[in-house]
Amino acid sequence: MIPIRCISCGKPVSAYFDEYQDRIAKGEDPKAVLDDLGITRYCCRRMLITHVETW
Amino acid sequence: MEFEVINKNKDELVFMVNGADIAFVNAIRRICMMEVPTIAIDDVNLVKNDSAMFNEVLAHRLGLLPIASDIKSIEGLVMPDECDCGEYCPQCSVPMTLNKKGPCVVYSKDLESLDQKIKPVYDTIPLLKLKEDEEVCLEAYAQLGIGKEHAKWQPTIVCAYKFYPELTFGDECTSCGNCAGACPRGVLQYNNNKVEIMDLTNCSMCKSCYRACDDRVINISFDDSKFIFKIETDGSIPPEEVLLKACDVLSDKADKIIEIV
Repeated sequence: MIPIRCISCGKPVSAYFDEYQDRIAKGEDPKAVLDDLGITRYCCRRMLITHVETW
Repeated sequence: MEFEVINKNKDELVFMVNGADIAFVNAIRRICMMEVPTIAIDDVNLVKNDSAMFNEVLAHRLGLLPIASDIKSIEGLVMPDECDCGEYCPQCSVPMTLNKKGPCVVYSKDLESLDQKIKPVYDTIPLLKLKEDEEVCLEAYAQLGIGKEHAKWQPTIVCAYKFYPELTFGDECTSCGNCAGACPRGVLQYNNNKVEIMDLTNCSMCKSCYRACDDRVINISFDDSKFIFKIETDGSIPPEEVLLKACDVLSDKADKIIEIV
């Protein structure tokens, strides 16, 4: 499970996780999706980019 | 003291303060982060948890959920230490329940609050996963608190200020345009053989332009009574309410000191 908030700044990034995953699966560019979702800081961006859903 | 709003949207407020003391601006910043009350889940009673997630991990995740706590929503609610009930009463806490049977992903929207206004800000936060025939059943109590006690009660995520940058060119400037090319933030732009300052508030005073300038004619400094202040919240309280509440808290503190002295 993805952490609820960004570990560094505390932005609730998990709220955008499902939308991010869906759009990536459809072949959109991760950079464009993150910009569109309003996730601007690199601390928050790495939360979504590097997360691996295991169980 | 002058104020000017530079940028504002739902969760973010950027404004300029002119003619303020650094100690004052810093006090406001610290109070915004640490002493503006918000609501967060503080206690969880787990009746049943069949999922692979440990109880304490689930409770921690619930605690971190941003919960709507703007002035209208928290009207009438008192801080737990000011309430004389001893445990949980409608005056100091809001009960929430979660009942779900798998297979499914449990989201923050599945959390049912007794109070219509006080509920998670985002509906799409995944809390846990349930497999076939697994069940989760819990009750949680949300209470008011301040960031000093636990970071889950912090209303702000980014709350910072910087000095207002000042950028001037000396008379010997040859308008070569090297500085504009070196600026990583697009503050300087080279148009029609002239260097123009586009958005000074975006300048981070990195001095890239100064180093790129062969004649070193660029002066970079700051005005120490002028600040750019940024407040970004997690969505639980609008940023302007955070600022107003912080000012109230500061003025209460000042009143207390006057009383003592």
